[in-house]
Amino acid sequence: MQVLSGCEVTISNETRELLLAAISEDSSVTQIFHAVGALSGFGLPLASQEALSALTARLSKEESVLATIQTLETASYLSQQADLSSIVEEIEDLVARLDDLGGVYLQFEEGIETTALFVAAAYKLSDHVGTEPAIKEDQVIQLMNAIFSKKNFETLSEAFSVARAAGSLSQNRFHLPIIVVPDGPAAVSHHQPVLRLQVTNVMSQILTQVSVKLDQAKSVSSKATVLQQLPFTLSGDFFELNFMNVKPASGYYDFSISVDGDKRFIANKVELKVKVSTEVGITNVDLSTVDKDQSIAPKTTRVAYPAKAKGSFTADSHQNFALSFQLIDVNSGAELTPHQTFVRLHNQKTGQEVVFVAEPDSKNVYKFELDTSERKTEFDSASGTYTLYLIIGDATLENPILWNVADVVITFPEEDAPSTVQSKNLFVPKPEIQHLFREPEKRPPTVVSNTFTALVLSPLLLLLVLWIKIGANISNFSFAPSTIVFHMGHAAMLGLMYVYWTQLNMFQTLKYLAILGGITFLAGNRMLAQKAVKRTH
Amino acid sequence: DEACVAVFFRRFLALQQHHLRALDAFLLYVLLTGALQFGYCLGVGRLCFPLWLPPVLTGGSLFLCSAVCLRIQINPQNKSEFQGISPERAFADFLFANTILHLVVINFVG
Repeated sequence: MQVLSGCEVTISNETRELLLAAISEDSSVTQIFHAVGALSGFGLPLASQEALSALTARLSKEESVLATIQTLETASYLSQQADLSSIVEEIEDLVARLDDLGGVYLQFEEGIETTALFVAAAYKLSDHVGTEPAIKEDQVIQLMNAIFSKKNFETLSEAFSVARAAGSLSQNRFHLPIIVVPDGPAAVSHHQPVLRLQVTNVMSQILTQVSVKLDQAKSVSSKATVLQQLPFTLSGDFFELNFMNVKPASGYYDFSISVDGDKRFIANKVELKVKVSTEVGITNVDLSTVDKDQSIAPKTTRVAYPAKAKGSFTADSHQNFALSFQLIDVNSGAELTPHQTFVRLHNQKTGQEVVFVAEPDSKNVYKFELDTSERKTEFDSASGTYTLYLIIGDATLENPILWNVADVVITFPEEDAPSTVQSKNLFVPKPEIQHLFREPEKRPPTVVSNTFTALVLSPLLLLLVLWIKIGANISNFSFAPSTIVFHMGHAAMLGLMYVYWTQLNMFQTLKYLAILGGITFLAGNRMLAQKAVKRTH
Repeated sequence: DEACVAVFFRRFLALQQHHLRALDAFLLYVLLTGALQFGYCLGVGRLCFPLWLPPVLTGGSLFLCSAVCLRIQINPQNKSEFQGISPERAFADFLFANTILHLVVINFVG
């Protein structure tokens, strides 16, 4: 056998006859596949033309995807002299049967295992025959997305099929998908200016005999092209590019990278998002108390990071407290507008904290002003000494800042001061909510309704009394069959009404009603006719 | 008005036929029952409205069927107006209408 060269396996003549006999139109595709595979594995001769015609005949009867895939595999064992083009065309038909899921995945509805088996079989047959498989580049990418989407497999056969697909995609004559992996997060900074990439095939084998080129790098925010047509340099297993050489501003950049070296490469144009981080510096920090009446000039104190301002500032009903500062990129001197610029005031006694956002004006100078009358609700009117912190942060900043700038004594107007100030602790259990079940409707007391029921039935008694008085009787009752039938039918109909109320639905009732009504009608007709006759006589 | 009412009562008491009197007694019963239920519902409150509807409907319709239709058609004094319809036929119509009425009411009651 080919794989176990040291292992001798003897095949008896009977086994060989059995295998050869299996290759016929009467066996299923799976049986033909196994027989051909076995014969080929043992190195025994087989009649390729016969196998081919048996396969073609069977395939027209068995239309399932799995059967077609097995046909592809079987054909790859047959001699190249045979005309396998009709089988090769099946690849295109199978591709048409794939389901496109959201433009990202391409797989058979039978699942990942079938899709992976298809990929392996298609490339095996294409290599055998020497024809490029009719699968387009984006279809291959979508197939890969589907097949390699799972990391845990339920069955061994599924895992095997995925491994086979990976193997066939990394070694075949036509299509080699390329994977580009950045070393760590795709980020560069002043400390780490080099972007390192690794190029591998589907089996994660590192490829170094390729050329990697940056087609262009565009800033995400400004859409300006920063770099174009620059090759990466190979260093060991990695391809490197020093991006900080062009001194990019901090932020995100879209890199378009292409990998070349072999005509078989596909999926070799990659988009990568690269982050450029920097360090922030705070400058021109001015703290001032501004008089509300504008009668006294504002007192401004300048503080330098990371020192704390000496003395404390006051904010009360006459004065507002104001803070202004600027943020710059330490390396380039450019102004920065990070995502998080917070001013946090922490009450030293009660542990309360209130956070505000400092907004930049048109000149990118950040300003914050505290007016006690405007902001008293956020503070719950709790006067006291507050520590002021400045919080600066952003995804592209390497040095987020938490800086205790100064102490601020805030006094709120007395009439709104609460008696006890409780720190708003959000994470204690809240009072339990008792679910109020829907109260049943208030019904009148039983006595009342019972009385009323009796009351309503009283006219019935009155009726009977009146009837007796009037002399209504059933003396004219004749026991003719039609009369009896009529009365029974009528009673039955009334009974049906009761049953309808308790059990039946309209359709069933109408059915029974039709039957009973018919009988009653006929009987009644007879009875009334007889009465009419009796009357006129 | 008084004269009108007096004439009405005199005519009513002059009725001799048992059939009509029995029917009138039945009509009185239906009327009383309906009125009592109406009064109950008013007294207790609005929440019994869906329960009150079937009695009212039944009462009203029965009254209509019996009084208006059957009675008029049976009264021999009105025979001239109902030439083609015998009392028996009137009774059969009455039964039929009653059946449909009960079907609808039971359906509503649910």
